[in-house]
Parts: sequence; C-alpha cells; structure tokens
Amino acid sequence: MATEAALEPDVDLAPAEALIAKYQDSSELTIALLQDIQDHYGYLPRPVLDLVSERLGLPRTQLFALATFYRAFSLKPLGQHVIQICTGTACHVRGAPKLIDAFTYRTGCKCNDTSEDGKWTIQTVNCLGSCALGPLVVIDGELKGKMTTTRAYKDIDKILGKSADAGDDSEDE
Amino acid sequence: MPDETVTITIDGNEIEVEPDIYVLEAAERLGIWIPTLCNYRGLTPYGACRLCTVEATKGSRTRLVTSCNYPVSDGLVIRTDTERIRTARRILVELLCARHGKVGVIKQLAENVGVTKPRFGEGNEPCVLCGLCVRACAEMAKAYAIGFAQRGTERIVTTPYNEPSEACINCGACAKVCPTGAIYIEGADEIRHDEIMLGPNSAIAVPTMQAVPNVPALDPEQCLYFRRDGCGICAPNCPADAIDYSMQDEEVEVDCGTVVVATGFQTFDPSVAEQYGYGRFKNVMTSLEFERLSNAAGPTGGDILLHDGTKPESVAILHCVGSRDEHYHRYCSRVCCMYSLKFAHLVREKIGARVYELYIDMRAFGKGYEEFYDRVLREGALLIRGKGAEVTDFATNEAEQGKLIVKCEDTLAAVQRRIPVDMVILSVALEARSDAKEIERLFKLSSSEDGFFLERHPKLAPVETTTDGVFLAGCCQSPKDIPDTVAQGSAAAAQALSLILRGETTMSGACSEINEELCSGCRICMEVCTYNAISYDEEKKVCRVEPSLCKACGTCVAACPSGAIKGKHFTKEQILAEIEGVMQ
Amino acid sequence: MNKLTSTADLDALYSKLQAAHDPDKKAIVICGGTGCLGGGAGVVIETFRKELAERNLNDEIEFRVTGCHGFCERGTLMVIRPEGIFYQRVKPKDVPDIIEQTVLGGKVIERLLYCDESNGKKPIVHEKDVPFYKKQMRLIFGMNGEIDPKVIEHYILHGGYQALAKVLTTMKPEDVIAEIKKSGLRGRGGGGFPTGRKWETCRNAPLGPDKVRYVICNADEGDPGAYMDRSLLEGNPHLVIEGMLIGAYAIGSPEGFVYVRHEYPLAVANAALAIEQAREAGLLGENILGSGFSFDIRISRGGGAFVCGESTALMASLEGQTGEPRAKYVHTVERGLYDSPSNLNNVETWANVPIIMGKGADWFASIGTENSKGTKVFSLVGKIRNTGLIEVPMGITIREILYGIGGGVPGGHRFKAVQTGGPSGGTIVVDEKGATQRVGEPTSAWTGTFLPESLLDLAVDFESLTEAGSMMGSGGMIVMDETSCMVDVARYFLTFLTEESCGKCLPCREGLRQMLAILDRICEGKGEHGDIELLEELSNVIMDTALCALGGTAPKPLLSTIRYFRDEYEAHIYDKKCPAGVCKALITFSIDPQACTGCGVCAKACPPDAIYTRTPAAGETAPKLRKGRELHDIDPDKCIKCGACFDACKFDAVVKE
Repeated sequence: MATEAALEPDVDLAPAEALIAKYQDSSELTIALLQDIQDHYGYLPRPVLDLVSERLGLPRTQLFALATFYRAFSLKPLGQHVIQICTGTACHVRGAPKLIDAFTYRTGCKCNDTSEDGKWTIQTVNCLGSCALGPLVVIDGELKGKMTTTRAYKDIDKILGKSADAGDDSEDE
Repeated sequence: MPDETVTITIDGNEIEVEPDIYVLEAAERLGIWIPTLCNYRGLTPYGACRLCTVEATKGSRTRLVTSCNYPVSDGLVIRTDTERIRTARRILVELLCARHGKVGVIKQLAENVGVTKPRFGEGNEPCVLCGLCVRACAEMAKAYAIGFAQRGTERIVTTPYNEPSEACINCGACAKVCPTGAIYIEGADEIRHDEIMLGPNSAIAVPTMQAVPNVPALDPEQCLYFRRDGCGICAPNCPADAIDYSMQDEEVEVDCGTVVVATGFQTFDPSVAEQYGYGRFKNVMTSLEFERLSNAAGPTGGDILLHDGTKPESVAILHCVGSRDEHYHRYCSRVCCMYSLKFAHLVREKIGARVYELYIDMRAFGKGYEEFYDRVLREGALLIRGKGAEVTDFATNEAEQGKLIVKCEDTLAAVQRRIPVDMVILSVALEARSDAKEIERLFKLSSSEDGFFLERHPKLAPVETTTDGVFLAGCCQSPKDIPDTVAQGSAAAAQALSLILRGETTMSGACSEINEELCSGCRICMEVCTYNAISYDEEKKVCRVEPSLCKACGTCVAACPSGAIKGKHFTKEQILAEIEGVMQ
Repeated sequence: MNKLTSTADLDALYSKLQAAHDPDKKAIVICGGTGCLGGGAGVVIETFRKELAERNLNDEIEFRVTGCHGFCERGTLMVIRPEGIFYQRVKPKDVPDIIEQTVLGGKVIERLLYCDESNGKKPIVHEKDVPFYKKQMRLIFGMNGEIDPKVIEHYILHGGYQALAKVLTTMKPEDVIAEIKKSGLRGRGGGGFPTGRKWETCRNAPLGPDKVRYVICNADEGDPGAYMDRSLLEGNPHLVIEGMLIGAYAIGSPEGFVYVRHEYPLAVANAALAIEQAREAGLLGENILGSGFSFDIRISRGGGAFVCGESTALMASLEGQTGEPRAKYVHTVERGLYDSPSNLNNVETWANVPIIMGKGADWFASIGTENSKGTKVFSLVGKIRNTGLIEVPMGITIREILYGIGGGVPGGHRFKAVQTGGPSGGTIVVDEKGATQRVGEPTSAWTGTFLPESLLDLAVDFESLTEAGSMMGSGGMIVMDETSCMVDVARYFLTFLTEESCGKCLPCREGLRQMLAILDRICEGKGEHGDIELLEELSNVIMDTALCALGGTAPKPLLSTIRYFRDEYEAHIYDKKCPAGVCKALITFSIDPQACTGCGVCAKACPPDAIYTRTPAAGETAPKLRKGRELHDIDPDKCIKCGACFDACKFDAVVKE
C-alpha cells in the first residue's frame, strides 16, 4: 500500500487548503468538507486527507473510517464516465437488474467498481427519488429515466464515439 | 456503598447497588454468568456482540436489552435464563461460529451456551470485530491509531491504509484486551538475551520477585495514565483502594553517624571486545544474562533456550572476558571460574548439551570448590585450557553451518581449535561501577587504580575507610563471592554497631579549632579536609570542626586564608617553641 | 428584500404583496421538481424562457417554476392560470403551441390533456378535476404547485410565516406545546410518536452546563421508493423552516439542523437558498421579528448511508462520525446530539406544524380518524398506473388509494401485493372472523408490510395498521403485480439491508448475511427442506437482539412474504420453479420459431451477445419469418437470463418459462 501512495500523482493541495479553511471548527461539517473534496478532486486523495487530519486535529483513523463507510466517498479516482443505476424498490421492480447486466457487460466494468483502464465507474444507488421514471440511470450527472437495455447500449456507444445516433428520451416509448 | 442505592432483582435474587452501574456488573456481583465478548472492565461498553442480552422488566413493560450498557434502576427485574434468551444466545454463537468457530475463545463460548453443531459452518478468522482494541487505543492510550473501516459485512479493524501507524505509541493495550489473540506483539515470544529484564513488562507490577516490600509499583514512564492522561483502569479495580496516582517521590533526610558503603559492582560490557560478537550474534550472552535465563523466575521459567526458542545442543563458556587482560582489567575477578563451572553443571543437568569450558587457570580456592570442580569434570564437561580468541559465524564446512564457531588455542594439546556451538556464554569481569567516583566524592573515599574503594589497611582494617564512621562491604571494595561478601558485610555492620553502641567516643586531644569571629565562611577548609570533619553552619555562616572526626593533620590550618583555624597543641607558638627546644 | 424587524413589518409586506398580486394575470406554472427535471423538464423550461423573451411577453405572462406537483407519472407537468388548465407530458416542441394557442388564444390543446383511462379516456381540462388530485387532501403539498421555492416572497404571499408571527407574539412556549398536543399530530417518519409529547420531554430534559437543546429535521429519506420529503424540501422549504422555528421556540432551542441525504442535491440547494433568504429577511438569526427569540439552522449532508436515517446514527453523522447507532436506553430527547437534549422530527412532521398553528388544533383534529389526525403523504410507485406523490386524510382505505387515486395496475396485469413503508415489514395474521393477532413487536419507524389483495380494505391510520401487526411507515407504497416474485423481492430487501447495515452488531451483520445466503440458494434452485423454518428461527433472534431498528425490523418483509406467499417459497424449494418467472436460475428463455419475425431487436438488446441467427431446420416451419431474415435463437450457455430480449421483442416470440 505504501507503494500505491507513492505512485499517486502529485496532488495540488491549494484547493484543499481553501476548503479546509472554510470548515474550520465545525465537526458536523467534517462530512460536508469531505464531500467538497470529493467533488473537487473526484475522489479523496491521500495527501489531502493527511492535510485535513493535520489542520483540523482529527485522527487519521477517523477520516479513514468516514472515507470507507459512506458511499459518497472514494479513495480511488473515479472513472472518466460515471454510471449510476438506481436500485430502489420501484426501479428494481421495473427491471433495474437487467440494466446492471447491460451496463456491466457492455463496458466490461464490474458493478460498484472502476474499470481497469479508468474509463468507467458503475455504481448502484439506493433510490434517487424519481420513482415514476423508473428504471433510472444517471450517466455523467445526467438523469435518464425509463431506461431500456437497447438505449443503454446506444448511450455507451455514443460515449465510446461509435455509432451516430444517440439515445433520445422521446423516442421508443 | 454510597448513600444513594437502588434495588434490582436478577433471576429472583435481590441486590442493592449504586445507581450508576450497569446490569452486567450487578449480575457479576451475584455470581450470575452472562456471556460477553465485546465487554472489558475499564472500557466504555459497546453493545456490539449482543451476547449479554437479558430480559428487563420495568413496570409492566418487558423488553430485551444488553446488560453491559443497560443502567440499573429501582425495582428493575432481570431474567437471564428464559428460553427466549437461551435460544438467542445459541443462534448468536452459531453466527459467530460461521466465521470464527475454530478460534479458542469462540469454541469455549459455544460449549458454554450449548452449541454442538453450528449450522452455518466453522471459520477461523481471528478478529471477531468486537472493537475492544479500537476502544483501548482511544480510551486508554488516547492514540487513535487503529479503528474500524468499511461497513456492513465488509467491516474490518485496521490502521489507515493498512499500514503501520505513526500514531501508535507501542503501549500494547490493544493486544492486552483482544479476546482472541488476533492482535499480538511481534517478537513477544523471542528470547532476547540482551534485553532480559529483571521484572515483568506491565506498567504496574511487583518490580522483582525479591522486592521489598513485595507489592506492585507503578512506573510513570510506562503508565498510560501519566503518558497520555488515559487508562486509569487499575485504581478502580483495586479492592483495597491502594492506588494513588498523586503519590510523589519523597526525599527523606536522615541524620546518621555511620555509613556502610555497599554499592556493589557492574559487569564488564563485552561489546567493546568485538571479537566475541556480543551484540552481533543473538546467542552470545554474558554470564549475568545466562544466570537470568536459567532462573526459574526468569522469562523462560528456567528453560535454557536459544533466541528462537529452541534448545541448544552445545554451549561454550569463555572464562576471563575482561579480566586478566592487559586491554581491560589486569585483575582476576575471583568468582567467574566457579560460576562458570556451575553453568556447566546446570547445562548438563537441564538439557544435556555438550559443554566446553575455555579457561586460563582454574581457581577453585574455597570450601568445597575443588570437589565441585571434580564433579563437573565427571559430569562430562569438556575443559580446554586456552582463552577463547574469537567467536564467528563464518562456516568453513558442513558441520559448522548455522553454528557459532569459537576459535581458541588449546595450549595443553598445542593445537588451534574451531569449536562449533549453539550458545556462547561470556564470563565477564566484575568491575567498579561507573558512578563510583560520585560515591567517592560524597564520602571522601579513595579508590585504587582499578576503581574499587580503598580500605584503610588491606590486612588489618579491611572494612574501614580513612574516614571514621564510614565502612565498606562487598564488591565495591573488590570482587568477591557471596560467602565472602556476607562475612565482610557482617564485619562492617559489627564495626558500625560498636560505634553506635559505645555512646561515648575517645578523641585525641589534637584537633583543629575554628575561631568563629575570624572565620569568613569561605569554606576552603571544607574542600581540603579529607576526613569530612568540617561542616558549615548556615545560620551563623561560619565553619565548624567536628573533633571526633578530625585527625589533626593540619591541612585546614595551612589553607585558611583568614588564619582563623588553629591546630590544638600545634599552634605556631608551640611549634616554634619545640623547634627552639630541639636546637638547644 | 428588507429585513423584517417586527410582525408589523411582516403584515405590511404581506399586504403589499397581496395588493400587487393579480389573480387574473396570465401565468404559466411549470413543475421543476427532480422527477420532472429527469424527464426533460429542464429543456422545456429553457424553451419557454427563450420563447417568452423572444416574443416580448415577459410583462404580460408570468412564468413560474415550482416544486413537485405530485403526478410524476405524467411529467413534465404544467398548469395555465388563471383558468387552471392542466397539461401533462409536455415536450419542448409543444412550447410555441402552448403560448400561442392556450395562453394567448385561450384554446385548449387536446393532445396535452390528461385522459382518464378508467372513464372511457375522457380528456380532463382542469387540474382540480383530475381524479389523481381530486381524491387527495393537499394541505401540505398544495402550495407546491403555486410557489417558486427560490423566492421567499411567494411563500409570504400565500400567508407564510404568519403562524410564526402569531406564536412569537401571542403564545408562550408551553402554550405551543399544548396546542400541538391537542392537535394529535404524530410523527410522520413512521414511528407515529405523539409530537407534542416529544417536544415536551425535550423541553423539560435537564440541561448540562454549556449545553443547548437542538431541533433536527430528518431528511435522510432512505426508503427506496419514498421521495415525499425530497419533494417537500425542494418545493416548499419555507414550510419546513417555519415549522422548525415554531418547534424551536416551543422547546427552547437556539440551534437547528437539517440532515439531508447525499443523493438529494436539489433539495439541499433549495433549502440552503431558503435559509439564506429567511436570514436576510430576519426570520432566522438573532431577535426574530423583534421577539427576543433567536434561532438559526444549518444544513448537513449525509454521506450515502441508509442507516443514517436512524436517530442515533444520524446524530453520530452530524458529529462527524460514521453512522453507527448506539443503544437508546437513554432517549435522544434527553441525551442526543453532543449529549444534549435533541428533538428529531421528520420533514413532513415539521411541515404540519405551521398549518396547525395557523388554522388551530381543533381544525386539524377534525381531519383523520380518532387516533390519527391530519393527512399523510405517500409515494405511490411500482406497478401502478398513476405513480406520484399523494396526500390523503388518515382513515382512507388502501383500496381507495390504489384504485381511486392510483388508477389500478396497468398493462393488463393483476395486482399481487403492496409494500408499505420501506425495507422492513410487519406481519399480519387475519383469521376467518377478521380478528387480528400481532406477530413480532413493531419497534420503530422502519416497518412496512406486504398487504395482499385480501387486506386492501384496511384503513390507513396508525392504530388500525398497528392492531393488524403492521405500521404506517414513512409513506412509500410500492405496488407489485404478478410479474414480481415475492421470494425475489424478499431477497432484494435483504440485499439492500446487508449493504446498508453499519456492521456494528453481530445479529444484523452476520444474521442478515446468513439469511441472504439461504435466500440466494433458494432462488438458485438449491433450496432445502427446512430452509423456511431456519429463516424464521434466524428472524426471531435477529428481531430480538439487533441493536437498532435497521436490523431489528429487517426480517419483517421476509416474514411477511412467507406468511402470505408461502406457496411461492415452496415452489422454489421443492419444485425448483419460480411461478412469477423472475428468478434467473429457475427460468429459461427461448425463442419460438413460430412467432419470430427475424427483426433482430432481441439480439441488439442482449448484453452478452447470446442470440445467434439460423435458418429453419428441416421440417421446421417459421410462418412469421420475414423475407431475407433469419430466425433468431438463444444460446443457453451464454444466456444470463436478464430478460432484456423478452422486454425488447414486440412479437411475443421470446418465451419465458
């Protein structure tokens, strides 16, 4: 693991310092701080966590526990393209498992993981709260409702730059 | 029992307790067994294993609670043995067995609750996720070096990034509280001959087996209460309330007229004699270390073992390491030949290993000593006349692989030998302590070239010093064995007693006297007096001579810049008169 | 907007806004909730803005983006005022028509109207006539369709913060508590604990030195399928803020938190904006409206953990720790956040407070049943025609909800079960005489039941559901038809709970894991005799010994499905069949050459490319096969039984058995 840290690319700590200064002295905002860091860097870089520990006087074990307990955080950089598949009850009943199969097979990325080449991250989310639009998938932050496997392939191909026509929500109904 | 109490009932037994305890402790006091796993006296209860679940009835409401953290209240009724509880315990233990069934503590638990065939399998993962180590590190050591990570079925106990933690203070609290041995101190099982301590490792323990008084003492440098403002588990657990963290060292001043100096010796440190490999090779040790090793109260309980815990098959004992040596000490340390023979005898008796004694001369001078030497020869020790020259691990043939090779010249056989052995004992010299000079200064003692304190007369006054009332005993005066030390100690004690019991002492009329009016309080006389006969009066700011100690040497008379000291019967006038008388 | 320093200022502002408001002015009110946004409302909104600007209509027509309107099935939703014309499934290309024909021209566009399928597809023009809305009582949600949550003046225009003003100037804290008690308001997070009593206990709890009382809003709505709280917080955050203000005044708390789950970014944004605007207006902060009462709110985001909906885990998370619950032998109202008295209430509970204080406890108590007053918001989702958020008075029957409002099960399928309340289920036993027996003690908010057809006439209220061994839950209502396998659903819930378990206590972490292993086996066709009994045995111990309600109620959906659908379990175990055709290991897919047209849609949909083409074998007929095409068939070795082909085929050629 030490070698992994050494291999981590140089992380610019300046943005982290700014974020930490914003949240000084508020323990109920520790998680919010980590979320801002996650948003900015795309994951929680180890040097940044060490910096947080130093500045806020929090034990590294606490930060490591938070980083590995909550789904919102990742210790590894996310893939270039993030696919979130809603697995809430309503979406499950409307066929979310099929979509998981579709996306994992087509991208070669395992569920709740990042692919080896760093291109994809596929995550399951427990209910995005848009149950009328189930089954729901969020691709790169864009919500796509009433997803089907065929449209899933079109979207993936579009990202990969393959076929011409993309998945239009208004089409096959 | 404090004034306020509450009464609760457990399994039909009533008990009166303080209102701020939990049900589990009340049950323990009644002798009622409730299974636990994640609980430890002194740490905050966690309630994770749920094994201590009991039925609690308050008023008309009954519910299941964990007794480790459920507070007592007046009129509370607890049942620990209902069918519901027993079923729950069995299933919980079966769930534990799924991952940990082969681990000792869990196997025992299974037996205790009646689980004979765990239905979910039997794993052997040592960590049961009880969290005791996490809490110990947080509450006792306050180091926060270890914690939980991930969640749900993936939950683990780890250090950040699973790397050795910088925050860890090496206190060992985590290993101590771990119920399954999943956390252990690496190398704790190694026999580290060079680090053999005379006492146990805990921060509070009886210092040595022979300590007087034979009670535990707390070491503030190890104790987490002092190091980290944490732990503090011993004090509430002491039934006699004998632990007081606020105790301070006291300095006690005792007025005394006689002193017996018995400050002892130290062993020669053979690391400077690099040819023996002490400090380089793990199985080369000094005689004192071997003595500790073979002691029944020692770290191995008296078993003679190598560093890796195995029995040696051959042992070499090298005499005169540091003694009879131009480079270190020219004298003979007197005791080594006999204890080396003792070692040979012990090795032969305990483990039957081959023993080589490498000696220059065999000094078996005392009562029964020669007979013992004969006996050791008969027991099969191999004696080689020739001082050990070098200990090496460089093997030149198959038989020497992995061994320590002792090189020496066997002068009787006129050959050079390479003797492969597993263990080497260096019979090191006894030398004066490194702090002997300080003692000398305190008591105005003199020492010989080798650092041992000088007696007044080697034949006629072996326990007295030039200072009246200060006596010597033991190895601080010269190397000697136990019978001789005891004899010398008795002599010194007797002399001291005779002084004390005399009640009055005769003094020679000749002594010095200080005129207080002329004395300026410069204290130069004190510095030059070798008999400690002059003291300084803080109030009057003048010096004073103690007639019983003064030997009338006259040094102070000459040294005093104010001319305030007069030597009785040796005043200037008297001396001049004497000279005149001789000249007539 | 200027700071309001007294209730007189508030009254003045209200009057000013009322005077400026023209109820007859033309307005386009469009839903901007997360649901509609996900369905493309964003583009529609932008198109409207562009069109209105280009046509210079911004003075004549008011364009308002509001929060969730509730009828999520039919998004994008909009209402044209003052007529109240209701358009659904609006697309960007409809925008010019709407502006020209309806807003300016006064004509209705039929294709955008809602058609009542149960009434001969009759189109309905006005919002108030839509059956989905007609049968509801939208006390809390009503304003969602009117106000822009980003503009505090809208809230004030509709009477917002009047209740607060009344409370601060004319009532003592004890009076407020008495009023809430009189109203009969009970917690809407699922526990149903009397709110007034909770506030009172918190107010009276002893306060340590240097400690304060806290009020907390639980917006960690984690039940999959439930999103009422999100829509409330997105669409009408001020209602919740006002409720918290009143509560804080009654309890004596200077500091409040809103704990929103991580997956609700719009709710966080709108709530944060509302708090800021309220501060600017002097409605949060020091000396509110000159009353001497000071209170402020901070928003805290969750980190993505369902367990943080549990009160002690939520507070641990607020304190910057992992969401591990702790024993509740001392209640959080006495020792909660930072060991101080803390009052935690659900979003919906807080939202009821200003309404009660505004219209009076007696009025509130007149709605609902004897022991359950007021309304409840449900999210109606799953295999139901009209998915969305509904607000109904307590006491309405489940049947009425499903059929009267929900429109029944679509697509010609049959109703099978409805799951109320979340991943934990209670169990109901009903014998011939209709008497009910309780199995297992429902312990908290996270309980939900599977109710089969036979129990649809149960009234939705705390008591009748509790008597029957179930509980209200937080409000999620998930409908299932015959294509749902109940064993699979039970497995789904257990999977969910094992993933969300914090892992602290043994029964939940290891017990659920073992139960899931058994269910996995059953669904893979490896079920054994005795599995059901073992599941029941494990369930009882887990319910008895788990540390918190997540574990403690986790076995309930399973027990509930065993109770009512035991035959499905037995089919899986003994017959190795899945009657609903869901469990992959027990079903096979094949293509019927008699129906296959060779269109190839199935092959495109197949993830592992398990569909190959072939020519008809000797003696095989392929009557529907199109010219130039080949028959498609499934390679059973590659088939992962996902069912994508089954869904894709429009000719029913894919056979599932």
